[in-house]
Amino acid sequence: MKTAEILCAGERLHLFAERAVFWPKRKTLLISDPHFGKASAFRHAGVAVPEDVTAHDLQRLTALLGEVCAERLIILGDFLHARSGRSAATMEALERWCAQHSSLQTVLVTGNHDRLAGNPPACWNIHLAGAELREGPFAFCHEPQTIEKHYVMSGHIHPSICLNRDFGSSLRLPCFVFGETFAIFPAFGSFTGTHVMKPEKSARVFAIREGELMQIPSSLLK
Amino acid sequence: MQFGPATDIFEKWFQSRNWKAFPYQREVWSAFLEGKSGMVHAPTGVGKTYSIWIPALMEWCNAHPEKTKEAAPLQLLWITPLRALANDTVNAMRKPVADLNLPWTVELRTGDTSASMRAKQRKLFPSALVTTPESLSLLLSNPDTREKMQSLKTVVVDEWHELLGSKRGVQTELCLARLRTWFPSLRTWGLSATLGNLDEALRVLTGSDATERQSVMISADLKKKVEVKVLIPKQVEGFPWAGHLGLNLLPQVLKYLERAKTTLLFTNTRSQTEIWFRALVEARPDWLGDVALHHGSVDRDLREQVENRLREGSIRCVVCTASLDLGVDFPPVEQVIQVGAPKGVARMLQRAGRSGHRMGAVSRIVCVPAHALELVEFAAVREAISATALEKREPLDRPLDVLVQHLVTIALGGGFNEAALHEEVKSAYAYRHLTDEEWQWCLDFVTRGGSALQAYPQFRRVIKSDGVYSMTEPHLAHFHRMSIGTITSDSAVSIRFLKGGTLGTTEESFIARLKPGQRFSFAGHALEFVRVRDMVAYVRRSKKSGGAVPQWMGGKMPLSSQLAAVVRKKMSEARNGIYDGREMKAVRPVLEIQNTWSIIPNPDELLIERTTLRDGTHHFVFPFAGRLVHEGLSALLAHRISQVQPSSLSVTINDYGFGILSSAPVALDLEQWKKVLSPENLVEDLLACLNSTELAKRQFREIARIAGLVFQGFPGSSKSTRQIQASSGLFYDVFSRYDPENLLLQQARREVLERQLEVKRLRETLETVSHLKITLLETARLTPLSFPLWASFVQANVSSEKWTDRIHRMAEQLEAAAAKEKI
Repeated sequence: MKTAEILCAGERLHLFAERAVFWPKRKTLLISDPHFGKASAFRHAGVAVPEDVTAHDLQRLTALLGEVCAERLIILGDFLHARSGRSAATMEALERWCAQHSSLQTVLVTGNHDRLAGNPPACWNIHLAGAELREGPFAFCHEPQTIEKHYVMSGHIHPSICLNRDFGSSLRLPCFVFGETFAIFPAFGSFTGTHVMKPEKSARVFAIREGELMQIPSSLLK
Repeated sequence: MQFGPATDIFEKWFQSRNWKAFPYQREVWSAFLEGKSGMVHAPTGVGKTYSIWIPALMEWCNAHPEKTKEAAPLQLLWITPLRALANDTVNAMRKPVADLNLPWTVELRTGDTSASMRAKQRKLFPSALVTTPESLSLLLSNPDTREKMQSLKTVVVDEWHELLGSKRGVQTELCLARLRTWFPSLRTWGLSATLGNLDEALRVLTGSDATERQSVMISADLKKKVEVKVLIPKQVEGFPWAGHLGLNLLPQVLKYLERAKTTLLFTNTRSQTEIWFRALVEARPDWLGDVALHHGSVDRDLREQVENRLREGSIRCVVCTASLDLGVDFPPVEQVIQVGAPKGVARMLQRAGRSGHRMGAVSRIVCVPAHALELVEFAAVREAISATALEKREPLDRPLDVLVQHLVTIALGGGFNEAALHEEVKSAYAYRHLTDEEWQWCLDFVTRGGSALQAYPQFRRVIKSDGVYSMTEPHLAHFHRMSIGTITSDSAVSIRFLKGGTLGTTEESFIARLKPGQRFSFAGHALEFVRVRDMVAYVRRSKKSGGAVPQWMGGKMPLSSQLAAVVRKKMSEARNGIYDGREMKAVRPVLEIQNTWSIIPNPDELLIERTTLRDGTHHFVFPFAGRLVHEGLSALLAHRISQVQPSSLSVTINDYGFGILSSAPVALDLEQWKKVLSPENLVEDLLACLNSTELAKRQFREIARIAGLVFQGFPGSSKSTRQIQASSGLFYDVFSRYDPENLLLQQARREVLERQLEVKRLRETLETVSHLKITLLETARLTPLSFPLWASFVQANVSSEKWTDRIHRMAEQLEAAAAKEKI
């Protein structure tokens, strides 16, 4: 399946294998950790990474927004990767994209990388929400945490799950982790690594493999 | 005056030490003084170092009859593959210099040399510099090195056989090519143990255009006497499995340890060293502190302590692996014990040579077979030693990752002109077949990122201006220098006590499987795992011993084809009732069961045994081609069989053959077997059946590191380096998607085929097999040959500790059946 529908804190949410979540009630698309400019930062350091990464990620975002007719985009931090990644090519691509989506309301919750990389230019019309944004039953943050009376939507970890297979090999898949008090999103950026998590049995875990979502049975968890 | 006016000084020095120069040494002296290059091959412990060091000093003394006050400027570079070796070499080189009061300085420069010392050396090199390939490569990245090295006359590569066939060897070749461009009259000398392809080793050393250059091969031709003693278990078990590791011979081994002052006990894998160390200390608690452990993952400081005690002769036994294979000189070592089959003739000789290191002394090696069939292997080794059938070391063919690293190094070290460097690189043997396209791609990769059509914006590493390629950005230079010399390291996790003190390193995958509180053995300590942080696993001492033993990847050495051929010969003799020597006589009952229940295959036949057991139909195929070949072959066959008769198959391998288990009954006739064993479409089928992407991804780890894509976590590295860290797997994905033509990806696939699956040997094996007579036999039960294969099935597939029970039960049943038949 490409999408999954779940109930979370009483709200209906659509999970996408393209590493995004749609909240229909508020017509809001949620993503985390796009790390734009990461490839540029690498090239700046003399490491050859193809540029097409940024364009590809922006295309994916455009396609998702179109598919769900979102009016708002909330980014759960780490929008820009590093100060050295603010290269002309990347910044131009992002500016163009923002201009093309001027009717979209874009909100950025500050992540650890944003603090070092610097804020997006004001003309991009990205609303800076600071470290935390509360709305309805949810609190949107960068780092996973527990906030009283709120279900936390977060990123930061770039979670993945490790599944054992025959012949001793294993498979590492990026995943959504919906725990009891907070959810952790996979990183949206396609040039990002992952961190293997061992989620609690009670968590709902959706792994992403080859453009498909699959829920991991709780018997395979911790 | 044979060697010029200074001859006497050195003759007298030799006499003063009660030494007599060997004829081969004199031969090297002459060739050296004539300005020739060459290679010396000799067993360890016959004065190889002085064969080259003495004429270098002589040459200087001949030219400088009057004592000078100033130290001689740089004359000689000595490259050694192991830091542990470097200290000994420096000491040996300093001896004649001190005794004869020569104005020469001999210094060391490795990764461990202090920054102040390195700075001092860069201002003024010593007369002779002992260094590693990585440190030499780093020197080439300094623009003033050429000028500072101007007086260089000779470069020596020690233990060349160890570098040959590795990427470090290729790195050395590129450095040598650079030095020869700078100083055309430079001499290159190599020191090597005896190999099966010495001529090729010489050509690799002196470069692909060496035909014009004068180079000589000098053989010590000193037959070092090797005594091989094989311990024979009282009761030869007919149905052994790999898990025994010869521990049932422990009492006999203890006796040998008691007799000698100092013993080296070699095992084939690091995990076996841990197991044997534990067993020795448990059997003789009074030896605690008198027995030590030495393998590549043990921390350097600890290893050095052990090495020092070996040198002093103040230790009874060191349990070790290949980490002590190299020619470090430990004269006190009286005997060597080899646990488990040697797997190769050269390796066995090398290990035997660790004892009786003094010139003229006899090398003694005591062999401990881990199971009955290894007796055949030891018998074969003994025979091969007397026939001196030695293995080859295949040199690598143009690894582009090493070339990419080198291009950046040279760009940094003062820049290069394209045509000139192209020619220089092609003069290195590894790159003699480098195509213009590959060369261009490497240049593009370091200048533009992608190929000419697909340049990466803002990418800069090497810049071309006015026809000169150079690197000027200080932060890029810094990153690059950090990535030179990471060729050998793997993604290793260091193991440290909570209270401080590092024990060594192990592979990440082992640590990943541990849970906090779990016990394991490492470096001879019983430890409890606490947590892992930033590539460091923190541990505390455990009161109880036992628990897991780390497995290191690549720890299993495959049987060499030379040795395999002799093993097959011994087997076929046995088939004809000829049992020569103690080992063969001891293993006779086992081979007789094999011959009765099945057959002992002749060299001209391929034996396939078919046995049906409770768990399904087993086919056991015995090509005797070594585990690496069998790994590829078994996967290939499983794939092809499943296409003929769909069923779920699993495989298991060892050095002699492999097993295929199918849950549904599979019955192929002779013709069908011939078809599945055909060499046709080998590569295509292989790639289709293996998860080649995953294998290539794993291989890409090393490539990404060498080509400078991945930086390893450096202690105290700043945020700025952390922001440009990504895993090699991520690079693999990004390149596959956006730049699939990237030659480094292709290199990864090629290395999987060539290095992991040994496609060349695989093809040779299949071609050989296609001429063999296939003997397909239905056996009522498992045979001595198939039992170990079946046992590893059970070990891999039966969870918990029940598998040992099951194997023992099966072994008992088979032994009983065998005993019954005898009556």
